[in-house]
Amino acid sequence: MRTTQAPTSAAAEASTWRALSRAEIDLFVRSMMTAYEVVGVQKKHGRMTMDKVEDPSALCLEFPPQVHSPKKFLFPNWQKLFRFSLGGKVHLEADKAAVPRVIFGMHPCDLHAVQVLDDCLFEGEADSVYLSKREATLLIGVDCLPDEHCFCSSVGTDRTASGFDLFFHRAAEGYLVQSGTERGEALLRRHAPQVAKREEEAPLPLQVKPCEQKLDFAVDALAPLLGDVYDHHLWQEIGGRCLGCGACTLLCPTCYCFNVEDRMDDDLTGGERVRTWDSCQFDHFTRVSGGRDFRSDQADRQRHRFFRKYKYLWEKHERTACVGCGRCSRECLAHIGPVNVLNRLFVEEASPELKALPANEYQPDMVEIVSVDDLTSQDKMFRLRLNNPIRFTPGMFVAISIFGLGEAPFTIASSPSDDMHVEVVVRAKGALTRALHRLQIGDSVGIRGPFGHGFQVDAFAGRDVLLVAGGLGLVTLRSLLLSLLAERQSFGTIQLLYGVRNMDQMLFQNELLEWHGSNLLDCRFAIKEPGNSWGVPTGDITHLFRNLDMHPQRTTVAVSGPAGMYRFINPLLLRMGVDEEMLFLNLERHMKCGLGKCGKCRINDVCVCETGPIFPYSEVKHLKEAIER
Amino acid sequence: MKPRVGFFDFTGCEGCQLTILNLAEKLLDVLDLVEVVEFREVQSHCKEELDIAFVEGSICRPDEEKRLRLIRTRSKKLITLGACADLAGINIAHEEADGAELAMAVYNSDSEHLQGGQARPVSAIVPIDGRIPGCPVDGQEFLSILHALLLDRPTNLPAFSLCVECKLAELPCTFEQGIVCLGPVVRAGCNALCIEGGDRCRGCRGLVDNPRESSYQRVLETFNRSVDDILEEYRTYNLRIDEE
Repeated sequence: MRTTQAPTSAAAEASTWRALSRAEIDLFVRSMMTAYEVVGVQKKHGRMTMDKVEDPSALCLEFPPQVHSPKKFLFPNWQKLFRFSLGGKVHLEADKAAVPRVIFGMHPCDLHAVQVLDDCLFEGEADSVYLSKREATLLIGVDCLPDEHCFCSSVGTDRTASGFDLFFHRAAEGYLVQSGTERGEALLRRHAPQVAKREEEAPLPLQVKPCEQKLDFAVDALAPLLGDVYDHHLWQEIGGRCLGCGACTLLCPTCYCFNVEDRMDDDLTGGERVRTWDSCQFDHFTRVSGGRDFRSDQADRQRHRFFRKYKYLWEKHERTACVGCGRCSRECLAHIGPVNVLNRLFVEEASPELKALPANEYQPDMVEIVSVDDLTSQDKMFRLRLNNPIRFTPGMFVAISIFGLGEAPFTIASSPSDDMHVEVVVRAKGALTRALHRLQIGDSVGIRGPFGHGFQVDAFAGRDVLLVAGGLGLVTLRSLLLSLLAERQSFGTIQLLYGVRNMDQMLFQNELLEWHGSNLLDCRFAIKEPGNSWGVPTGDITHLFRNLDMHPQRTTVAVSGPAGMYRFINPLLLRMGVDEEMLFLNLERHMKCGLGKCGKCRINDVCVCETGPIFPYSEVKHLKEAIER
Repeated sequence: MKPRVGFFDFTGCEGCQLTILNLAEKLLDVLDLVEVVEFREVQSHCKEELDIAFVEGSICRPDEEKRLRLIRTRSKKLITLGACADLAGINIAHEEADGAELAMAVYNSDSEHLQGGQARPVSAIVPIDGRIPGCPVDGQEFLSILHALLLDRPTNLPAFSLCVECKLAELPCTFEQGIVCLGPVVRAGCNALCIEGGDRCRGCRGLVDNPRESSYQRVLETFNRSVDDILEEYRTYNLRIDEE
């Protein structure tokens, strides 16, 4: 893990202030334009937008807060991660380095918003695409006047002492330029030398901005407030009004959740893998393979947005992910505004006492398929030879790419003991999995990972083991079982309960028979549809718990199956006396980037691709989105 | 062998096919990938098996219905091209007004030979495998749907509403001028072309999969629009809505 220092987070020790005139600003901009792309707010086609500056005198330094956020330059809606070409061997090409750019016109709230993006995107493994843009960009602040939607003074973002390279303050006559970093000072020396040589002025005292909209309580009371209102009726009310258009998140200067997809060239000889803005308010955002949607209700989506902004990220970074810019409420046709929502929650519910090379991490490694096994009529197992040794624990996953069709996550089915190969099971369901089924030995696919957090093998040592698998869930437990069997003497009894719909969906039949016939473990099967060729009694997996010879206190349990299965298996196990810490669940979600960034796999505030998909029950039982109600 | 593609037109203005011809150089790239065996705008008839049939226009007469069924039998995939084929489109105006009067208003005295009929979308007659919405279609979207068909990818359309594209283009909201716009319930994908041009959205791309009807209704109430006003607006392109 490496943490990255934001390029402008180191504020200059001693900020300098110098006076200059608007004419001198124009000269400064003109000079910068020879070395940088300068963007700023201008009036174009009757509206104010931030765009490339062609004529310095057209640059507005005083503009209203409704101008869209400069996020589009630091984290654009369309960002090429890399190019690929098809035909013969897949050839990958990284995106070129970012354009050197000056953003001239950052309001204090937008400067704070960049800090939020830094928090989120530099956390853990830094997002290199964002980092390269961030490093190539200088930020110049200008002041603003709040309108009726702004509430920056309530969240402390109406002023800033850092986060900018230069800041232009309006003075009685002309402007005062304040330096924020050494880069900013150097910019001034190079492009406005006469100003840089000028004698320093006294700093302006920065006043609190007058905002009509105000939170009725201190901002640090927000996270605890929200902790108590998860089930508040207000979410249903907002959900009922919301159009689901996503304008709130698209306009938000700190929203960065994204999608990754392949866009083909017109002649289909190649294409680009690009990331585009996504929104937790959209219908497809949490949809998984097979069509299920883990957050289908608009009320839940709006709550998630508010909890992300004011609770989850506050608890992580001690900064609200909302900067009070008002853009979400200003353009919401349904008039959903954060100040109104939060104040209502406070009044109604709060107890009175509450007051590198870009895109490296996205680029797959090309690996060769060394064997393909037909497990069932619709499931194939692929064995891949890796270029570099892999270290993982059972339950972790890899992302597999077919260029032109995209990327999808697959749980590793093999044992960690072979570090040069992984096996994955693919059920032909969508375009990508169907395409995988057409591949043969010797073909290659892209792979990234391993990602996630697997089973804590320590929790099984010296104990009895019960594995409960439903359908495809056996894939995860096969990896675990193989690693347990590799050190069989370290564990007590091992039992495997496996339930499937019918024989045609039964995975690993040869291995199951082999295990069944061995004295290494006790295997029991349940097949839902009648008339199977193994003579297994018909029924669902709960039947297998009836005559189970188990000592709950010395047993570690791993459950892996479709989302619905946990609803009845968990209570059954807990009633039998299994420890919550010794009950492990596999909670796979829509995992896209695998890097803890894209936001698609979150269960409430937990990022599944980082801390999951394997969780002890005790860690997720309080998460309302974890186990379907 | 290259996939064989046909273009067929029924009742419509052929503007969608024209949009495809206007792709110019990009169209030449497409011609490297497929074999166009029928295209009335450029060549004469033949009757072979097709991998993909693109069908433009709404179905108004019995002979059109018969011809459409034949096209369906000989095509592996049938994709509708444009709002007329997708929704019945503006031809639905025929339902509202007297046919002869309408023909007179549009074509003047030369209209005697024209025979109308109830306009229906293609999917009301035969199953379809995908659609390219719009009046006319967007050339780039046609290309990406064709690519998806050639790569065996799902022919997905944007699932979000037009509001997204207005925000991305930083266009001021039409509602801000007190004008009712169908954007919040209509499928994106046109890059908000009409809004950019100063008009409102009239819904040629059809509704999103999950239009938030009651939320939208509430917005309209705040703009003092009656249900009738908005049903009128929905009728332009024959959009279906729960009439509550």
